[in-house]
Amino acid sequence: MMPACIPDSDDMTLRRPSVAEGLAMEEALLESICHGESDLGLVVWSPCDRALVMPRRHERLAGFSEAREALEARGWPIQFRSTGGTPVPQSTAVINVALARRCRIGSSAAHLEWGYRRLGEPWCDWLRELGIEDSNLGEAPGAYCDGRFNVRIGERKLVGTAQRWRRVRGCRDMALLVHGAMQVGGRPEVLVEVVNAFQAAIGDPQRFSPASHVALGQLLPEARGEAALPELLERLAKAVKYVF
Amino acid sequence: MTTEITVPADLWEGETEGVITAWLVNDGAEVAQGDLVAEVMVEKAQYEIEAPATGRLSIAKEEDEVVSKGTLIATLES
Repeated sequence: MMPACIPDSDDMTLRRPSVAEGLAMEEALLESICHGESDLGLVVWSPCDRALVMPRRHERLAGFSEAREALEARGWPIQFRSTGGTPVPQSTAVINVALARRCRIGSSAAHLEWGYRRLGEPWCDWLRELGIEDSNLGEAPGAYCDGRFNVRIGERKLVGTAQRWRRVRGCRDMALLVHGAMQVGGRPEVLVEVVNAFQAAIGDPQRFSPASHVALGQLLPEARGEAALPELLERLAKAVKYVF
Repeated sequence: MTTEITVPADLWEGETEGVITAWLVNDGAEVAQGDLVAEVMVEKAQYEIEAPATGRLSIAKEEDEVVSKGTLIATLES
């Protein structure tokens, strides 16, 4: 396979759509790979509104309709996303990066861990460049939507990651979309409380802990992190430029 | 002729299990080769499963059932 194209500068610009529009942008990015329009793409966005976002399978939970009404009444409408995991709040405090690329079946890139590491490792390098030394990938017990490939500061979750895989039309290649959501502003308590409200509303006894999360703004001035975003995106684009 | 639909065996390392998150067509439906038929989630990754052939779908694993790599989740009769 030929080297993928580097995304153009428009892709590197932080956009501020609604949550619904941001999720649609990610879906359009994945579709563009599936249709063979490009081999690599990036979108970076931070919502101008807020929602509690989860995979559609949660709709099957007993009590979901009532939970949806309860969260809506709190100002957190529920929306669905195409990547895996469990409920995650989206608000102006969150920056999302979605990276999509075409992968040949049988290559090292056609693998979950490859995608997570190509997103997470450059993210850790970027944090170290900002002076945050103890960034790493791993689980954050007590965090909502926990997984093996969170970007952590120490043992606290900064970036949640998830993926979606879809077949490229007309061939056996796959399109991978890997997504990271980083809390940049506010304090984790606010977002954790929203997820815990959903847990309570559906009668699930599991609760999550703010101590398992961290926001970038707790570690350095919020404006500094946002100003450094282009460096993060360049690192990510380089990390997936070639299929090994 | 029977064609098996299985969870890809080389998508992830180790013995982590996944779950069928959705069947996109009903049991007994006629599907064409390449149609999306199911979604499997493992390690917070949603993976879309296509029909490898044309035929009548017979579901072997229901939504929310746990699956491993290589698990037979359905068959197609043509």
